[in-house]
Amino acid sequence: MGILTLATRSLRQHQAQTRSLAVLGGALAAGALIIPPLRERFLQHPFAVAGFLVLVLFVVAFWTIPSDFTRRMRKNPLSLAGFTLIVLFIALAILAPLLAPTPSSSRDPYLIPQEGFATDPRPPRPGHPFGTTEGQYDLYYGIVWGTRTALRVSMVVILISVVIGLALGGVSGYYGGRLDEAIMRITDIFLAFPSLILAVVVVAVLGRSLTNVMIAIALVNWPIYARLLRGDILTVRGRDFVEAAKAMGGGDVRIITKHIVPNAIYPFLVFTTLDVGLIVLTAAALSFLGLGAEVGYADWGMLINLSRNWILGAPGNPFAYWYVLIFPGAAIFLFVLGWNLLGDAVRDILDPRLRGAG
Amino acid sequence: MTALKTLMVLALSLALGVTGVAYGQAVKNPDTLVKVKFGDPESLDPAYAYDTSSSEQILWHVYETLVFFNGGSTGQFVPMLATEVPTVANGGISKDGKTYRFKLREGVKFHDGTPMTAEDVKYSLLRFMFMDRDGGPSWILLAPILGEEGTRDEKGVLRTDLFTKADQAIKTSGNTISITLNKPFAPFLSIMAEWSMVVNKKWAIAQGDWNGTAAGLARLNNPKKPEDTALFSKANGTGPFKLVQWDRQSRQTILERNDNYWRKPAALRRVIYRVVEDFGPRRLMLQQGDADIVDVNRTEQSQVENLPGVRVLPDLPQLVTQGIYMNLNVDTTGGNPDVGSGRLDGNGVPVDFFADINVRRGVAQAFDYQTAIRDCYRGYATLGNGPVPKGMFGYNPNGKWYATDPAKAAAAFREARGGQVWNNGFKFTVAFNSGNTTRQCLAQVMKANLEALNPKFKVDVRGVTWAQYLSLYRQKKLPMWIIGWAADFPDADNFASPFMHSSGTYPSAQSYKNPEADKLIEQGRTETDTAKRRAIYFKLQEIAFNDAHTLYFYPVKLTVMRSWVRGWYNNPAFFGEYMYTMSKQ
Amino acid sequence: MASFIARRMLLLPVVAFGVTLLIFALLQFLAPEMRAAAFITNPNQLTALDAIIKKYGLDQPVYVQYWNWLREVFSGNLGWSQTARLPVRAAIGAFFPATLELTIYAFVPIMLLGVWLGTAAAVHRDRFIDHLSRVFSISFRSLPSFVWGLLILMILYGRMNWFPPGRLSLEADLFVRDPSRFQLHTNLLTLDALLNGQLWIFFDALRHLMGPVLTLTMVSIALLVRITRSSMLEVLRQDYVRTARAKGLGEDVVIDKHARKNALIPVITLSSLTFVGLLGGVVITETIFNFPGIGRWGAFAAQQLDIPGVTGFAMFVAGLTVLGNLGADILYAYFDPRIRLQ
Repeated sequence: MGILTLATRSLRQHQAQTRSLAVLGGALAAGALIIPPLRERFLQHPFAVAGFLVLVLFVVAFWTIPSDFTRRMRKNPLSLAGFTLIVLFIALAILAPLLAPTPSSSRDPYLIPQEGFATDPRPPRPGHPFGTTEGQYDLYYGIVWGTRTALRVSMVVILISVVIGLALGGVSGYYGGRLDEAIMRITDIFLAFPSLILAVVVVAVLGRSLTNVMIAIALVNWPIYARLLRGDILTVRGRDFVEAAKAMGGGDVRIITKHIVPNAIYPFLVFTTLDVGLIVLTAAALSFLGLGAEVGYADWGMLINLSRNWILGAPGNPFAYWYVLIFPGAAIFLFVLGWNLLGDAVRDILDPRLRGAG
Repeated sequence: MTALKTLMVLALSLALGVTGVAYGQAVKNPDTLVKVKFGDPESLDPAYAYDTSSSEQILWHVYETLVFFNGGSTGQFVPMLATEVPTVANGGISKDGKTYRFKLREGVKFHDGTPMTAEDVKYSLLRFMFMDRDGGPSWILLAPILGEEGTRDEKGVLRTDLFTKADQAIKTSGNTISITLNKPFAPFLSIMAEWSMVVNKKWAIAQGDWNGTAAGLARLNNPKKPEDTALFSKANGTGPFKLVQWDRQSRQTILERNDNYWRKPAALRRVIYRVVEDFGPRRLMLQQGDADIVDVNRTEQSQVENLPGVRVLPDLPQLVTQGIYMNLNVDTTGGNPDVGSGRLDGNGVPVDFFADINVRRGVAQAFDYQTAIRDCYRGYATLGNGPVPKGMFGYNPNGKWYATDPAKAAAAFREARGGQVWNNGFKFTVAFNSGNTTRQCLAQVMKANLEALNPKFKVDVRGVTWAQYLSLYRQKKLPMWIIGWAADFPDADNFASPFMHSSGTYPSAQSYKNPEADKLIEQGRTETDTAKRRAIYFKLQEIAFNDAHTLYFYPVKLTVMRSWVRGWYNNPAFFGEYMYTMSKQ
Repeated sequence: MASFIARRMLLLPVVAFGVTLLIFALLQFLAPEMRAAAFITNPNQLTALDAIIKKYGLDQPVYVQYWNWLREVFSGNLGWSQTARLPVRAAIGAFFPATLELTIYAFVPIMLLGVWLGTAAAVHRDRFIDHLSRVFSISFRSLPSFVWGLLILMILYGRMNWFPPGRLSLEADLFVRDPSRFQLHTNLLTLDALLNGQLWIFFDALRHLMGPVLTLTMVSIALLVRITRSSMLEVLRQDYVRTARAKGLGEDVVIDKHARKNALIPVITLSSLTFVGLLGGVVITETIFNFPGIGRWGAFAAQQLDIPGVTGFAMFVAGLTVLGNLGADILYAYFDPRIRLQ
């Protein structure tokens, strides 16, 4: 609800922008309703369309409400690019059923449709705009639906890592003492592993599947969150307002949630943003080692892994199979790039040391 | 800043400096042959090695056998360390078919110069039998000579009585060695052609290996680590090449020419086996001439075709049968997602789904063999009609197999379980070991074909890691799975048993038992009359067709080498290349 | 300081054993048959699975297996690595020098290039070079390292034939193996080549190092650029820099003499962490370039569930990581007087 009121308020403030957006939106909607096949698709997936509209509203609201954050972002073309990329990917994920309709014979939209079974990839052609990769999996379909997978994997992993990290890091930083010591030694153990190796062992033990990939990455990821939060809490804990709250007899949980977390959250946010890219890369690396998503599942890492044998091209024509790597490679690259750009921007904006300098 | 510049200049000059050298189509390393493979050997001990990667490096290169295959034939033999191939006619094989006599070649020397004697041969055979590591090859000799599959009792204690028996079964007199079998065993000579590698007894004992007595057996038997055997990475054989080094760090084995070989020394001075797991660098090494022969999967074939200076041999016969297995009694203890609900309600299959012959025949007739062979094998496989692969004794070229016929398949499914299968539909999983694209493709074809019959038929395809695959398969949890079988020695029995005998590797996991097949297989082992023996395997093929518990394919082998490699020839029984005859030009 | 170091040294075995405990805890999830897979090379061996499980005690409770393993470790034996075909200790000894050499060579361009780019970006903040360095470093870390590796392999070996995979070419390899012509002192081949006075071996080894070094540089440089940049920015605002500028010193002198020196403190600290980070980075790089180092072995052992191999590898890397972190702390304390006084 808040979003809507904010949006309307901001819309009023930016008449010119709003008008052009409204015209554009109206034209798109009208076009969609007039062209029958499009209309049909829209009507078939009301949730996707609704989700898309919410996203548009949200972005417009975010962008038009004046704030220090957006003002800074506007100044930095790179962060703007990052923001745009991420919004586009989210839109792509939401609209996946419209952009790449699942064949009626398929029981799971995440399984990429195959055209025959032949090994050698075949180049882009009508019906397969990005071509088909090894095993004749449609690259376009895989990339569109893979966006959902990438977002899901990173969100789930971050959620698990944050929950564990918050709990352990919070306890560790707030109470200190032996508990802190013990928790920190546990994080030492996890961090002493090359994270990829630990993830490989976990997936190898639990079996190859996307769920296990998420579990594995979360398992190697949480200690960083725990440490980060602990450090933040340590710096915040000594400050006056926390001492004051303690003196006033505030409960531990209340102090943590009311005073410490809000103040420690920003570096956390920066890290989370940057981590999305890292998670997707780790998942891809697991795929590369043959421990990622099931073959045929809409996942960029899986598609890149299928391209592995074809990257070197055919004899005499090194770029004969360019499309098998370029499309999924570009998807993963742009996605990670978007998050990295945004993360860097957020850090610069939030880093007080860099503020106002230069 | 300056340091950086220097570095860049260094890198650039380095790069430019070396480009000139590497190009050019002259033969690279003309007296050294480099084979680049994707797997390490497990051990170079002839009694321990039981994988192609190990065997291809030592067999007939470092160690030699009593007899050898004649050219590309798997059923005809020529003498190697023996002076003639024993037959009943020349008195080498006794009338009852149980005793084989080999007269040894004079003047054969081991790599350290000591002459080979009958004592060495006996020691080698006994050593092979009594090493008997778990999962090792020792049964190949134990079974025909002693009639036993292993050397340990139920509790894992070594049976010393077996050694006394074996000691009597293998006798030396002068330079003749005679081996008496437990029962007549038709394929014994093909076993001798592959598994009678002769090691140097005196030298081995000096290396701390088995001392040749019953008392020393405890140390020899079932070593815990491959390294525990003295011949793990050292060798002293009679072959045309000497083992210089097996470097496990850089993952390569170096063989050097034996200049005192009993025949003309080999043309190649050195043979090097290197391991490179990734196909990319492997192909590039072939392209640049840094590798002479490389392992290439069928999937990757199109990427080596038309490479200048490279020869692709896509259809060499080999002794491999690939099977798609149906499980007649799936284990569901602790839940089994691969059979869905476990009931015939359209969302699963009952545990004994494939016990119904109509279901199995339905599957066999629904499967599109042509598409599978074209797409999964690039056309380089033939449809099998039973376990025994094409080209081997016992294969029936006129044996019947099912033709792809959706109408007949549908009819069979309609009949199954009184029409319930057809009316309710089913759902089950076809599994393959992930990474094996051929098996994955076969599974997908199966899915497409069965689902096309009836919208209520649902098949899932699932790739699992090799470790999981073994585990699931052994627990009989997979309703349908795909795996291959490569010959231990070139004989029909080595295929009939694992595919059709109720105690064989696959039937025991499929819960398949046909008493008639069991009886025929046991007869086939001891039957020495060729015609009668052939009839037995033809009959077994008929049973395979009628029971349809497994679908068979005979894939052919792909070999890729630089065209400057000369003197190469193929024998389906080879584990790798026979380097003695080869050269580079 | 001494007690701090002592305390950290004491932690080393604790962390290393914690790591092994973690791996054995994971074993809990593994069916014995799955571990037996590490001992099976062909389907013909499937019937022997039971015997193999029994032989290696794979069906025993995990704590028993851990106890047995610990006992072995205390008798100086880390077990047998099925994937390396070597005892674990020998495997570490065999694979580590190659990785060390690779890490050293990757370390140099990462540090030099990273510091240079980071300083340049800070000095010319928000100008072309700043954006360029940012675009580069962000792009480099936005693509999976194996894609970079494969691209480098494809272009610089497949196309140009400059940087082949492996560690040595065939001729060089055979030469190095011949004890009458070449002595291996350190197993760092470039160093050994110089010690033996064989310049061609040196260049040959260097050529093989270039591909993995390039890949590692690309994926690892971003962090260094960023830290140098922000640290430099902070220093540039410090009073003494302003004073130096106010004194009328030239911009180059100010940056070289005053600013950069102080900005490098966190960078130096980071150097030992970069070293540790590279140890993780080699896992993929070595696999692609078929470089016979410890990372490739570790990845392979993990994939194949070669438990003694993985535990040994993890313990070793954990030890190095702890040492690296300790090094970072010591360097920091040494260079930053504020810490030393505390």
